Amino acid sequence: MEPFEPVIIAFVCNWCTYTAADLAGTSRLSYPTNIRLIRVMCTGMVDPQYVIKAFLEGADGVLISGCHPGDCHYINGNYKARRRIKLLKEILPRFGIEKDRLRLTWIGASDGIEFAEIMTQINDQIIEMGPSQTRLNKAI
Amino acid sequence: MMTKIEREDNSSAKGLQQFFKQLLEMQEIDALFLPVRLNASTSIMPSLVTDPAQLENAVPLSPSFPLNSARMVSRLSYKASGRKTAVLLRPCETRAFIELIKLKQGSRQELILIGMDCPKALTSSDYAAYAKQAPLADDAYIETVFSDNNDTLNGFEFSSACNTCEHPFPVNTDINILLHGVDLSDGMVVTAETEAGQQVLGRLNLPEATAPARREERIQQIKEGNSTANTAMIEDITDRTDSIVKLNAFFDRCINCYNCRNMCPVCYCKECVFNTDVFHHQPVQYHQWAEKKGSIKLPTDTTFYHLTRMAHMSHACVGCGQCSNACPSDINVFQLFKSVARLTQAAFEYSPGTDENESPPLSVFYEREFENTVGIAREE
Repeated sequence: MEPFEPVIIAFVCNWCTYTAADLAGTSRLSYPTNIRLIRVMCTGMVDPQYVIKAFLEGADGVLISGCHPGDCHYINGNYKARRRIKLLKEILPRFGIEKDRLRLTWIGASDGIEFAEIMTQINDQIIEMGPSQTRLNKAI
Repeated sequence: MMTKIEREDNSSAKGLQQFFKQLLEMQEIDALFLPVRLNASTSIMPSLVTDPAQLENAVPLSPSFPLNSARMVSRLSYKASGRKTAVLLRPCETRAFIELIKLKQGSRQELILIGMDCPKALTSSDYAAYAKQAPLADDAYIETVFSDNNDTLNGFEFSSACNTCEHPFPVNTDINILLHGVDLSDGMVVTAETEAGQQVLGRLNLPEATAPARREERIQQIKEGNSTANTAMIEDITDRTDSIVKLNAFFDRCINCYNCRNMCPVCYCKECVFNTDVFHHQPVQYHQWAEKKGSIKLPTDTTFYHLTRMAHMSHACVGCGQCSNACPSDINVFQLFKSVARLTQAAFEYSPGTDENESPPLSVFYEREFENTVGIAREE
């Protein structure tokens, strides 16, 4: 059997986590290619719909990552994101999408090493959890 | 302040009509909003009445609940009209309206909100059948639904939303009409809950009443019964829809008509994203999906739509059941949404419609909260 290669969608904010990813790259650090970064201007613009859509289309995990509390470029976008992720962590497990498949982290612009480490850990966790039910049931 | 609405010719329904007639004849009240039987038919629809003579067709208490009127009251009040309107609402309608006030889609500035012990409701299809059997049986209905033995009506089950309702008593109103545990032969009890209510009620010169002795007891009984039914319903529906595959199966009759959204009193967006170009897909898009998955059902985005709606409004769901009532495919949308609402409302400790000053959970945030939502520690 082929090893399980998950698909993980990461919405990362322009000012912190995307910059950290950039730093990881320029520092020649590597992280799992299963994680597909989508750059957004702020975690506060990640509509719960984006997350729901990703899972319904077969994503095995979704990560939202932005600036640490107090560091948001738009003052409070990350606080709004936190409430929305809290909301989704109530709704999605109700339909069997485990809480741990949805992640919210704060990774600052200078945390290139931490970025690579967290991406590796998340990838390992999702591999351990196995494919999501939507991936297994493509025809839905 | 506690006064009495006396019966007319031994009829509670007529007594109530008389009460509303007196209200409308007052100088201070320009219009009444309440259910009215239309064109001598069995259809009872919320109506805005300005002529007291028209109130002979008013049916303040009936098992007909064609829509949640909160949206209609929002239309009447989102801007000043220069008119004072007294509005009669079921408890779930009042709670939904309070949610709309929070979203600046309504105002109680020019309204007198009149609440009532809820007379429960049949689904619209059951009501049509019942009304054929028992047209104009307003008094028989009131006698049945406010008796101790009110589980069914002429053999019809009440809507599951009503049977599982945890708040069937008025809150946030100016005037309340109390009916449970009241000796109806002696008239109904009406109370003023706010200063505005007191001013209006005070001028009607109604006889004084005493607190209905058995009301508290009935409230407890009804709350306990409904709460048990609610827990059982939620367990059952959760079991039937605990995976995406089961959720898809639950909605496999859904035709994306969006009636559930249109009739939802707290689905508050001016323009729903599912009506925008975002979901006006290119023909090639459908082909690509079909090619990727082997086949796709059309219309598409059904489960996506329902999950999105849960994310948008479940925290504000008042459990009125109108989503199910409006479903042409007979899907019990209400049960599903109520089971999700229980989770999201508990997560934010939010109780929709009970406190006007409580902000909707997604409109506020605090620096230190939900900290275990962040990070990658394993929970399961």
